Amino acid sequence: MIRSEEGYFGEFGGRYVPEILLPALQELETMFSDLRDDPSFWQEYVGLCQEFSGRPTPLTPLRRLSKELGGAQIWLKREDLNHSGAHKVNNVLGQGLLVQRMGKKRVIAETGAGQHGLATAIMSARLGLQATIYMGADDIERQYSNVFWMRQLGAEVVGVETGARTLKEALDEALRDWAATVETTHYVLGTACGPAPFPELVTYFQSVISQEMKQQALDQIGRLPDAVCACVGGGSNAMGAFSNFLDDTSVQLIGVEAGGRSFLPGEHSIRMLPNTGEDGIAQGYKTLFLQDEDGQLGDTHSIAAGLDYVGVSPILSHLSRTGRVTADSATDTEVIEAFKLLMKTEGIIPALESSHALAGGFKRAKEMSPDQHIVINLSGRGDKDIFNIAHAFPQPEWTQFLQREAKRAQELEEATKGEK
Amino acid sequence: MIPAQHQKLQVMSHAVVGFPTLDENEKAIAGLVEAGVTMIELQVPFSDPVADGHTLVNACYDALKTGGSVKATLELAAKVSKKHPQATFILMSYLNPLYRYGLEKLFEDAAAAGIKAMIIPDMPVEQIEPWLPKLDALGIAPILMVTPNTSEERVAKICASARGFIYVVSRMGVTGKQTQWGEEFEAYVARIRAHTDLPLAIGFGVRAAEDLKALTGTAEIAAFCSKYIEWQREEGSEKAAAKMKQLLVDSELA
Repeated sequence: MIRSEEGYFGEFGGRYVPEILLPALQELETMFSDLRDDPSFWQEYVGLCQEFSGRPTPLTPLRRLSKELGGAQIWLKREDLNHSGAHKVNNVLGQGLLVQRMGKKRVIAETGAGQHGLATAIMSARLGLQATIYMGADDIERQYSNVFWMRQLGAEVVGVETGARTLKEALDEALRDWAATVETTHYVLGTACGPAPFPELVTYFQSVISQEMKQQALDQIGRLPDAVCACVGGGSNAMGAFSNFLDDTSVQLIGVEAGGRSFLPGEHSIRMLPNTGEDGIAQGYKTLFLQDEDGQLGDTHSIAAGLDYVGVSPILSHLSRTGRVTADSATDTEVIEAFKLLMKTEGIIPALESSHALAGGFKRAKEMSPDQHIVINLSGRGDKDIFNIAHAFPQPEWTQFLQREAKRAQELEEATKGEK
Repeated sequence: MIPAQHQKLQVMSHAVVGFPTLDENEKAIAGLVEAGVTMIELQVPFSDPVADGHTLVNACYDALKTGGSVKATLELAAKVSKKHPQATFILMSYLNPLYRYGLEKLFEDAAAAGIKAMIIPDMPVEQIEPWLPKLDALGIAPILMVTPNTSEERVAKICASARGFIYVVSRMGVTGKQTQWGEEFEAYVARIRAHTDLPLAIGFGVRAAEDLKALTGTAEIAAFCSKYIEWQREEGSEKAAAKMKQLLVDSELA
């Protein structure tokens, strides 16, 4: 497992935060460094993931699709089968164990696609914690079904109206809340970004993915895979999928970023390829950020709200700079093609975020030979994002249904009013 | 001039460079100096100001649209420091714009533009320490912050590297909301005093004459920033200056 040097991975990482947040980060770091070397803590965590989220998630061979593409044998690590429908719940369950040890009663979180917010709301309901979730106002519109469920689960969802109204602003707002409430509140950061120790701590919990993946590959393939491929937003599912393979140099590690509409500024969320992200220090850490000459963080776009972020895990910045991780990107169009292909050939509905990994992985598989094996991390499922995905596949019958449903909802609301 | 320890309370106020416009910054600063404000922070607008509340966040966003930048801040500093030699100008910025500019060049150019001190809220003391010889040579005071939850050990460390004054964050949270003064606050200030002979600036939650009266005798500097920017936004820079003048009269600091 990768370890930081005092919070740094090469030149990236660190802890650049207002003084007010330091004590909580130090407390968290001390607790984490004690627990990570305690095998019974890892057992407790894995046990919780098993009993609550159905781990281990399977490694599924894509026999029909592999044959159709004619290249490497393709396998999916099924993080979509987690409770709540994505890998995000792993990290949240782990941080829940920390919150219990700290004795804090309130948690906050930032969320982009809503998956991390949903996972946090689930954990909070289960542990009896008060939860406040910050979400960009535009993301709320894009992912309303997750917002609906977060609220039903008892979490407060706060729409962030500043700036581009997406994940970056939600993270800023969560940090502001934390500055006021840090003594009683834990910040459940959702990805392998932010000030130390978060990148390392989130990677530690998500590494359960590659721990299982490695054993499953040995059992089912009989050897390590030739390549592992994951999508990269903040980088938590990628770090989860890569971390146990870092020393196995025969395994190529491929991180696929959101290529969006084009390489023009504001039209994509690619940070690790040449002429995209540059060294910067913001939101508490040093990494590759999309930014302008004056150091103002840039706007991003992706068809997948969960990849629409301006920075990237400092661990991935480091690993892409050293060459251990190969950066790639997939455009919105390529993503939709990959989504359809998996759905129609294998009967699995992927999240749009994860479809980036599919697009990158399928491309790679075609260049490989049939005796080679590639594992794609399917970080989340798509069936619950029906509104969002329906946008990508416009159909008149869906629009007509929504109109009828809106009318029914309106009538129901008016009837209920009448009763009062 | 930065006051010495136990001198009379001075008000430090604020400009977000580019808010509402670069031209208006100059007029607003002239108005503040005329009103009797002798310390003014020039804030480089930033896309992600995590230690600021909504007033300054929104001012930053507006300022970025009108051309606020590091370069614009240095140009403004050069003009106003020449025009108002009686006032002390303090550069306030989040780290990334300065980092992109190049810290060494930034410090040199800031000194040449008449900047006397610098507040960088997301640059912890450990990151400032290696720059101290350079900053001392240039005559720029790094202003470091302490907060109510800063440990005794860390207060000592911060005070050892601090120059100019210590920025005492009055309460938990971000800028732009009221603070309750009282015994607990006085004890906190006394705790910081025990570590330093530097004057203390109180910031966060200084929003009215009563606050300034409460701080008279407790601190040497009071940062009156978000409320002033609210006045600027709601009533324009000229009226904001008139209100500042009245504030200093009402708080018996004129």
